[in-house]
Amino acid sequence: MLKEDFVIQSNIRRMLIRSSIDYSRMDFGTVKGVVYIRGFFQISRLYTDGDEKEEKEFTVKTLYSFEKKIRSLPGVTDVIFQFLNWRKEKGQWVPIEGKKKEEEKDDDENKTESNL
Amino acid sequence: MMRTRRNPIYKRILSEIEREVQFHPRYADLQNQFALLWMVGGEMEKAENHFLEALRLNPKYREAILNLGFLYIEMRRWKEAEEIFLSEVKRHPRDGSLHHVLGILYLQAGREKEAAARIHKSIRYHSYYRDYYKKRRVWQRGGVHLHQKAERTLKKTHLNHHYAHFHNFIGLYLAKKGKSAQAVKELRKAARLKPDEFIFHANLGTVYAYQGAYPKAIHEYQKALEIDPFYGLGYANLSYIYGLMRRTHEALRYMKKAVQMNPRYADLHYNLALLYSDRKRYEEAAFELKKALRINPNYLFARINLGVLYEDQKRWKEARREYRKILQVTPDDEHIRKRLERIS
Repeated sequence: MLKEDFVIQSNIRRMLIRSSIDYSRMDFGTVKGVVYIRGFFQISRLYTDGDEKEEKEFTVKTLYSFEKKIRSLPGVTDVIFQFLNWRKEKGQWVPIEGKKKEEEKDDDENKTESNL
Repeated sequence: MMRTRRNPIYKRILSEIEREVQFHPRYADLQNQFALLWMVGGEMEKAENHFLEALRLNPKYREAILNLGFLYIEMRRWKEAEEIFLSEVKRHPRDGSLHHVLGILYLQAGREKEAAARIHKSIRYHSYYRDYYKKRRVWQRGGVHLHQKAERTLKKTHLNHHYAHFHNFIGLYLAKKGKSAQAVKELRKAARLKPDEFIFHANLGTVYAYQGAYPKAIHEYQKALEIDPFYGLGYANLSYIYGLMRRTHEALRYMKKAVQMNPRYADLHYNLALLYSDRKRYEEAAFELKKALRINPNYLFARINLGVLYEDQKRWKEARREYRKILQVTPDDEHIRKRLERIS
C-alpha cells in the first residue's frame, strides 16, 4: 500500500476544516503512515444550551467518528492520539480533566470519611 | 441599499455582529465588520463611528483604513478620503489599485488632470488596470482619455469596493456555517465586483477545496497568485490541493515556493520534508526537518520524522538521539519507546 505521508497530511487538514472540531489548539503529523495528533480536542460549534452531559456525548461521538475517518484514509497504518484533555482507555474515550476531577472528588470523600 | 437592509441574511448577520460587538467591544476586526455592514445598509455615520473605533483600537489596521477611505468617497468628503489614500500611496507607492482609487476620487471631485495622472500610474504599476481602462476606452494609444461615458461609469466604481467586501464577508460567514454552496455564490459576487482583489479568489479557492471541487479551487488560487505573487500561503494551499489529488509532483513545486516565500514557517518546512521523504529524497527531507526544528525546537512531529528518517538510513546513533529527545517531552509515547528499544 502507498504510504504517502504528504497526501495523508493534506487529507487530515481537509477533514478538520470540514468538521466541527476546533483545530486551533491541535497539531498533527504523519510518519510513514502513522498519524500523530496532539493538543486540545475541542468542538467549535456546540448547540447544547450548556448541557454538560450532552456536550460530552457529542464530543465523544465526534472523537469516534474523527478516529474512524482517519483510519479509513488510504495509507494510514495507525493513529496515535496524545490529547491533553481526552484519552482512549480500553476502547473508550474518557475526558482527562473529568477523570482528574472524579479522582479528586473520590479523594475528598475518602478524606472526609477517614476524618469522621 | 434599501434592498440590502431588507435582505434576511443581512439582518441576521447584522444582529449577530451587534451582539458580538457588545460582548467584545475591544476587537478591532469586529468593529470593522460592523461598520462595513452599516455602510452597505446606508447608515454612513454609524459606519464611520465603528471604522474610527476599529482604528482607535488598532491604528495600523489596513482594511479598516481603506474602508474608511471608501466611505469618505461615498460621503463626498474628498479631503479626508484623499488624505487616507495619499498616505497609503506613500507606504505602497507601486500599488496600482491605490492609484486607481485616487484617480476615481479626483474624477469625482472634478480634478480631471490629477485623475488622468493617477490612472496612468495605476496602468504602469498593474497590468490588470491596463486591460480595465482599455476595455472602457480610457486607455488609448498609450494615453489616458477621459470621455463623458467613461467618467459616468468610473464615478460609480468606488461602490464596488463596499459591495465586494460585503459579499466576501457574507460568503465567509456562510462558509463558517457549513453552507458552502451559498458561500460560493457570495464570494463569486465579490470577485466579480472587484476582480483585482486576491483575497476574494483565495477565499473562493478555500471554499471550492472544502467542497472537493479541486480544479476550481486550483483555478481560483492561481488567480489570487497572479494578482499577488507574494501571497505565500496561497502556494501552500495549492500544494495541499494537489496533495489531495495525489499529484505530488505539483504539490512539491508549490510547497517549495511556499517555503521560499515564508522561510520562517516551521510547518511549511515540515510539509516540504514529507514531500521529499515520500520521494525518497532523504537528504533534502532531513535538511527541511532540521530547519523546522531550528525555527521551533519543540516541533515534536518534525523530530519524530527525523528520527524515523535516520532509522531508515541505518543511522542508529542519530535516530536514538532524536527518540530520546522526544521521550524527554512525551515520556508516555509508547510508539517512540518501542522504536528506541528496537534500535538500542
